[in-house]
Amino acid sequence: METKTMIDYTHRQAGHCESGATSNLLRFYGVDMSEPMAFGIGNGLYFSYIPFLKVQFAPMISFRNLPNTVFHRGMKYLGIDATVIKKFKDPKEAMLALDQNLEKGIPTGMQVGVFNLTFFPPEYRMHYNMHNLVCFGKEGNLYHISDTVMETAHVLTYDDLLRVRYAKGVFAPEGKMYWINHVPNHLDIRSAVSVGIKKTVYEMIKIPFPLIGVKGLRWMGRDLRKWPKKHGVEKASFYLGQVLRMAEDFGTGGAGFRYIYGAFLKESGEMFNHAELLEAAEMMGKTANKWREFTYIGARNCKNRSKPQEDYGMLGDMMIEIAGMEEQVYKKLDKIKL
Amino acid sequence: MEENSNPVYKDQRYGQSRELLYSYDENGQYKKDVGFHGEPDRIILQQAWDHFNDRIEDARRRVIAGKVSPIVYYMEKFLADPLNLSMMAGISIWKVKWHSRPGVFKRLSEKTLKKYADAFNISIEQLKKVE
Repeated sequence: METKTMIDYTHRQAGHCESGATSNLLRFYGVDMSEPMAFGIGNGLYFSYIPFLKVQFAPMISFRNLPNTVFHRGMKYLGIDATVIKKFKDPKEAMLALDQNLEKGIPTGMQVGVFNLTFFPPEYRMHYNMHNLVCFGKEGNLYHISDTVMETAHVLTYDDLLRVRYAKGVFAPEGKMYWINHVPNHLDIRSAVSVGIKKTVYEMIKIPFPLIGVKGLRWMGRDLRKWPKKHGVEKASFYLGQVLRMAEDFGTGGAGFRYIYGAFLKESGEMFNHAELLEAAEMMGKTANKWREFTYIGARNCKNRSKPQEDYGMLGDMMIEIAGMEEQVYKKLDKIKL
Repeated sequence: MEENSNPVYKDQRYGQSRELLYSYDENGQYKKDVGFHGEPDRIILQQAWDHFNDRIEDARRRVIAGKVSPIVYYMEKFLADPLNLSMMAGISIWKVKWHSRPGVFKRLSEKTLKKYADAFNISIEQLKKVE
């Protein structure tokens, strides 16, 4: 049975998988929204440091919110009618629902695990279950996939897609899928941006728990100083590597999303002609450059090429400085009225 | 900072895919470029894979010496820890640890072996031997 359904969907590359998927889906429905805008409205920015949970043999560090936050919140704040199905018990049913959607001409986003994705570069294949991609066509046994981290669109077979949609482990996707039903004619972007900024500020500085947001950054900075004494040099270097990998390598657009968020502030500042937002964008850009500097020094440290004064104590101080700089940005954003 | 643009990384092993990267320059503009990750990003990625490969090699040696069961080798090859493996295979973490003894592994039933083989996406014959 040869069936062919293709939806006229443009693949655009993006820095982050989920905000990229959200902005591409919106573009399909005629809303021209850039990736940073989708990211900022949907509260992509986050930080949590959980030292007692180990992921890939190192403490768990997350620069992103729970899976599907960007899409779900973005749609909610913009007032767009969208459907999110959290899980399917039966894998076959999940694939059938996807086929039906494609026949109706709806490009559908899915949460998948990275480890078994065949087109992914092998060095990034780790047990990471919060990846997102959009399926926009089917040809016999092959599905056309737009993965925004990659440069071009790819194909996956039925079995491969089923395997990644039912990857096991922490935050298992369980066949989660989402799509847009209907976009209203007029979108109130101004209020969506306002609500999005409020929520992000809340998550970064106001949650009364020490391991989340800016407090988490400070906690990590203090821990960083102790790592060589506590775990030995080799393990400390591996842990530091994990922090930097999470911030730079895994599709964050650089510096743990700080660049994307800054770009969002800049774009919305220009859109509403708001001087304070532009100022905040500048501060965020400086913070992001500081993050990148942290990566350079940290990577030198991992390779044992650092100068003697660039040890873990200095890196810890730098992290605490970054936390201070970020806190200034969020406090500024908190006072802004849109 | 001088390295605000994304330098092209020459090593073919880790330079296959290009990504979209953002940056912020002195003029206060955010820029998007498609490029390879820079040198520092590669160093930390290389470090992680060296670490994982060491663990896999170590596990392989221990399996051949008869100290642990092949499950440990495949677990390391899958970059999993016992907790992760227990989630993937649907077997409790204590049992996973118990099954990593060679003597216990030899007496495992087909059904349990099948669960492990499915989790690793290999056949049962492959699961039993480590080359």
